[in-house]
Amino acid sequence: MKKYLLLVAVVVSIQVSAQEKWFSGSFNSNSQYYVDDSKTGDFTEDDRFRSNNYLKLDALYKNFSFGVQIEGYVPQAILNFSPTFNKEIGLATYFANYKNEKLDITVGHFYEQFGSGLVLRSWEDRELGINNALMGGKVNYTPINAIQLTALYGKQRKGFELSNGEVFGLDSEINITDLLKSTNSTLNIGLSAVRRVNEEATNTNPNFNKNTDAFSGRLNFSKGNIYSNIEYVFKTEDALVELGTVNTNKLAEGNAFIFNTGYSKKGFGIDATFRRLENMNFYSDREEDGNIYNQQVVNYLPSLTKQHDYSLANIYVYQAQPKLSYNPLGKAGEIGTQIDIYYNLKKGSALGGKYGTKLALNYATWYGLDAKYNIVDRTYSSEFLTFGNKYFTDLNLEVRKKWSKQWASLFTIGNIYYNKKYIEETVGDVRATTVMAESTYKYAPKKSIRVEAQHLWTKDDKKNWLAGTLEVNLSPRVSFFATDMYNYGNETKKIHYYNFGGSFTKNSTRIALNYGRQRGGLVCVGGVCRFVPESTGFGLALSTTF
Amino acid sequence: MKKIILLITVLLSCNFLSYSQNSLPNLSLKTIDGKTINLVDFGEKDQVVVYSFWATWCVPCINELDAINDEYEDWTEETNFKLIAVATDNARTSSRIKPLVNGKEWEYEILLDTNQDFKRAINANTIPHIIIVKNNKILYTHSGYTPGSEIELYEKIKELAE
Repeated sequence: MKKYLLLVAVVVSIQVSAQEKWFSGSFNSNSQYYVDDSKTGDFTEDDRFRSNNYLKLDALYKNFSFGVQIEGYVPQAILNFSPTFNKEIGLATYFANYKNEKLDITVGHFYEQFGSGLVLRSWEDRELGINNALMGGKVNYTPINAIQLTALYGKQRKGFELSNGEVFGLDSEINITDLLKSTNSTLNIGLSAVRRVNEEATNTNPNFNKNTDAFSGRLNFSKGNIYSNIEYVFKTEDALVELGTVNTNKLAEGNAFIFNTGYSKKGFGIDATFRRLENMNFYSDREEDGNIYNQQVVNYLPSLTKQHDYSLANIYVYQAQPKLSYNPLGKAGEIGTQIDIYYNLKKGSALGGKYGTKLALNYATWYGLDAKYNIVDRTYSSEFLTFGNKYFTDLNLEVRKKWSKQWASLFTIGNIYYNKKYIEETVGDVRATTVMAESTYKYAPKKSIRVEAQHLWTKDDKKNWLAGTLEVNLSPRVSFFATDMYNYGNETKKIHYYNFGGSFTKNSTRIALNYGRQRGGLVCVGGVCRFVPESTGFGLALSTTF
Repeated sequence: MKKIILLITVLLSCNFLSYSQNSLPNLSLKTIDGKTINLVDFGEKDQVVVYSFWATWCVPCINELDAINDEYEDWTEETNFKLIAVATDNARTSSRIKPLVNGKEWEYEILLDTNQDFKRAINANTIPHIIIVKNNKILYTHSGYTPGSEIELYEKIKELAE
C-alpha cells in the first residue's frame, strides 16, 4: 500500500513541476450501500457498503510508455463481481511499451484483438467486471504500411492472479489493394492462429492433447457503396466440460463462420450478417468453461442482436450459444442472421417534415444447430446450413423525429420471441411486444426536459410491464432523473423498480448519486450478460481523467 | 478506505492545479473503408480537431452527433475545425456503423476503435466523450451530453481556434 502511495506522490509531484505534462490517467469509483427492503428482500450478505475503485496512470517518455492500473475493492466488490476481485487494494495491471514507426513492443499486461475477436480478444469492461488482459509479451511489426504482423504470449488475468493456461497468438493483416496501389477499393486479408496450452491433472485418454489451436482466415472488401466481410475459424479437438468438470475422454472440434455484407449511400444503409458457431467456447483454463462471471474467455462471441437502450427492451436479451452441452439439453451451437436498415426521410418531403425523419429497422433471428445428440455416449452429429430449434427473434423499428428547434421525439416498437428453455436452460418461452415513446423539450438553449414512457405486453413469464422516465437537464453540468419500472401484470409479485438520482459534470469529471431498486435477472451490457439478484440501495459513481 | 480517499484528493487537487497538456497518443486506427491512418495525420497546423467517442448503441452519443451535424456546415464555414467520430463499437455492433453513418447523412470522418485502444489511451471512462486537439495536444476534454451542450462545445472550439 505504502509503495503505491509513494509512487503516486512521486508521479504527481513530477507532474506539477514539469513544463510539459508527460503523464495522464483516470480515476473511476462505483460504490453501493445496500439497504433492507421488504419488496426486494433483506440484504443478507456481509458488508452493506461496497466500492469498486480503478486508478489508471500512464507515463510517456519519448518512444517509451509505462502504465499501471491499481484496483481497490473496499471492503469487497459490489454484488455479482467475480470473487477473484475481492482484494482491498492491489496492482491489477502494469506494462512497459516501446514504439517506433515499425515496431511496437509491450511487456506486461496488454489488450489485443485479432480480426473481429472470434479467436482472440482481451479487453476490459468495468461495469461487467471483465478484465481478461494477457500478462506476458506482445510484438506488433509493421514492415510497410500495408502489412501488420503480431505475435503474443501471455497468461490471462484472473482477478489479481493469473490463469494456469497459457495463450500463444500470431496474427497477420495484409492490405492487398494498398500493395497493388489501387485506391478505388480496399481488400484486406487476415490470418490468425491461437494456441491455448492447459495441462489437465486427471487424464486417462492418450489421444487428449493439452494444446488447443484455433485458426482463422478472414477477408474484408469495400468498394464504393458496397462492402463485405467473411471469416472462418477452425478449432482443434478440445475436452468436453460439464459443470466445471473436464472430461478428457470426450473430445470435439469446433468451428465458426461469419459473413457480413452491406450497401450504403447518403440517406440509406443496409447491412446483413449470417453467423454459425459450433462448439466455440474457448477458455484459458478449461474448467472455467461457462462460468457465470464471464472470466477467462479467450475469444469474443457476442450475441448479434440489437443492443437496446430502453429498460423494458432489455428484459429478454439473447446471449450467443456457442457451447457444446448434453445436459440438461442437447446444444452444439447457434445459427442465424441479422439485418439492419437505416433510412433518412428527406428534409422538406411529406413524411420528412422540416428537419427530416430518421428510421432504423432491425431484424435478428437465431436458432440452435440442426443436430442429433447421443446423450449416453456424449457424441453428436450436426448439419451445416439447416436450422434447429428456434432460440430468439427480434423485429424492431425506431423512428427519430425532430419537430422544431425545441422538440424532438423518438419512438420504438419491437416484437420478440425468447426461448427461455434453451437460452437460460430453464422452462418455457416468451412472446412479447414493447413500445416506447420519448420526447425532449428544450425550454432554454442549454436546458431541457426528457419524458419517456414504455410498455411491454406478454402473456408469458412475468406478464406485463409499464415503465417511465423523467429527466431534467438544468444545464450541461447538472441533471436529475427519476425512473420506474412496474411489473403490474405479475400476480405473485407486483413491484415498482424505481430509481432516482442526479449528476454533476464538469469537463471530464462526473459525480452521480442515485437511490433505487435493481431488477434481478440478466443484466446485459455490450452483448455480455450476467445474472444479478434484486437489491435496493444507494449508489455513488465518480469518474475523472487527468 | 482512508488511504483511497487521500489518494483521490491528492490526484484531484493536482488535476485542478495543473495546466499542462497531454499529447495525442501515437496510434493507428482503421477508417470506415478499412484503410489504416495514424492519428497525427489528422488536422493541418493550428487546425482544431474534435474527436467524439461514440457507439451505435449509445443514444446520447447519437443525439450529440445528430445535433452537431445539423450545424456542422455553418460552423465549419465560420471556424476552421473538423470533427472525427470515433466508433467504439466492438464486434457485436460494428457492422452497423457504416449503414448508420450513411443513413444519417453524417458529414464526419469515422474511425474504428473496435478494441477501445484509443479510448483507453486517452483515459475515457464513459461515452459520449469529447477531446479537442490542436497541433497534437489535447486542450480540452468533456464527458456526457445533454441537449444544448453542443453550443458550449462550439464556444470552446471557437475559443481554441483563435
